[in-house]
Amino acid sequence: MAKFLFVVPPFFGHISPTLSVGAALLGRGHSVRWVGFQELPAGRLPAGGEFVVPQLDKEELDHVLKRQDDGPVLGGAAVLKLALEETYLPLCRMMMKGLPGIVEQYKPDLIVSDCISFAGGLCAHISGIPCVTTTPVPPDVMGSAMDMPKIREWQERSIMELQREFGIYVDRPVIHSDRMNIVFTSREFAGIEQPSPELQFVGPVLGRPGEGAFDWERLERSVGPKIFVSLGTLLVDIRRAYFQKMVEAFGGSPVTVVAATDPSILSSWPDNFIVQAYVPQSRVMEKMDVVICHGGFNTVNDSILNGLPILITPIAYDHFHTASLVERSGCGLSIRYKRMRTTDLQEAVKRLLEEKVFRRAAEQVRSGFLRAGGASRAADLLEAVTATTKIGI
Amino acid sequence: MDTVVTNQEIFVVLKQFIGEVIGQEFADELDIRPESSFTKDLEMDSIEIVAFSEKVKKRFGAEINFTGWLSGMDIDQLIALTINDIIIFIQECQSLK
Repeated sequence: MAKFLFVVPPFFGHISPTLSVGAALLGRGHSVRWVGFQELPAGRLPAGGEFVVPQLDKEELDHVLKRQDDGPVLGGAAVLKLALEETYLPLCRMMMKGLPGIVEQYKPDLIVSDCISFAGGLCAHISGIPCVTTTPVPPDVMGSAMDMPKIREWQERSIMELQREFGIYVDRPVIHSDRMNIVFTSREFAGIEQPSPELQFVGPVLGRPGEGAFDWERLERSVGPKIFVSLGTLLVDIRRAYFQKMVEAFGGSPVTVVAATDPSILSSWPDNFIVQAYVPQSRVMEKMDVVICHGGFNTVNDSILNGLPILITPIAYDHFHTASLVERSGCGLSIRYKRMRTTDLQEAVKRLLEEKVFRRAAEQVRSGFLRAGGASRAADLLEAVTATTKIGI
Repeated sequence: MDTVVTNQEIFVVLKQFIGEVIGQEFADELDIRPESSFTKDLEMDSIEIVAFSEKVKKRFGAEINFTGWLSGMDIDQLIALTINDIIIFIQECQSLK
């Protein structure tokens, strides 16, 4: 039996895959703890696991979370700055107040740190505990900006400064593990020909929850192709404008739209829209024909796991990178949110419904995902690390 | 092209390119001025900026290493990049000829 400590940021898309992997480890008799910023919703934590929230400045955390809503109105470069300087670094500093104490008390055999939870890597380095990184989205989230030398320099400089702040004076970044980085997609879909040796692609492990109530009868009664539209859990400010566009494009047409959003954002909805804030996404998707989303990775994974073509409407952050992967794999089309015309939306959905190539490509990516091994392979990999480090290899 | 052009003439051409790249109806909704920033005011993404720079090269000469110039910028310069910066860059390249 070994002890695993997952360090996660306050973003559901990053936490979700670690819950599945943690559940697999618990099922094998290991001890698993998570350290995060906010308690999980009831029922999400795997049985036997423990979720710890250290003492935090709530106001500061709220400020960081609220800032995420500004992403869509900022440009690409400003989003990079927001992500690093106003999200990852402050979250790391907040976490470093409580995490070292938790590590000291729990004494994990392995720290499993999410790719944007730098604190996990720092603590592992300081305490000499082995560390593995988890990455919920295909690497290269920084996109083409990484090709710009001064931007790369700025990123590296910021990380080195952060490390020195916590007394780490090595000349390489330790925020990520150079031993192993578990990526929750397939190598093929990530489009990485020659992955560096620490990358282990295990495929997606779990998307949004499949539980919860839904008006299944109404969905059964509805006619025409079924379109699922989701904006994920973030991006509150643009919700109204986004779904207004969907209403303009598909209201009253011979399709049924399941819109995963709080209904109160619009005063009225067309009759062919089924609107609900928390839908049991993975189960609803089984009944759908096409998915429209902004490029949040859980929804993209759920779509592909159901063999569904995707219309992706990238807004900010890593959405553009995800959109390019979806287009390149052939399982969908992309229209940038800021340039979204009603006619383009209609045309794209028509193509995704009529041209079989999209569905076939989605099926192909799906088999690659399933071959990658999922949560049980991730658990194997983590167990293997603790086995080798325990005997001092 | 060989004739030296004025800032205003360059601006008109750049404005037209922006319309071609992002779609004229989206450009019409924006108040495009020399001081407009590419990422914040015009909401252009990297793909659009690359398409735009191709047009600039075609019109003002291949010796204008627009992408090379961009890639030497730091994050704050990139965030603040305006149409006017590009006008000045084109003028500078032309005066070196």
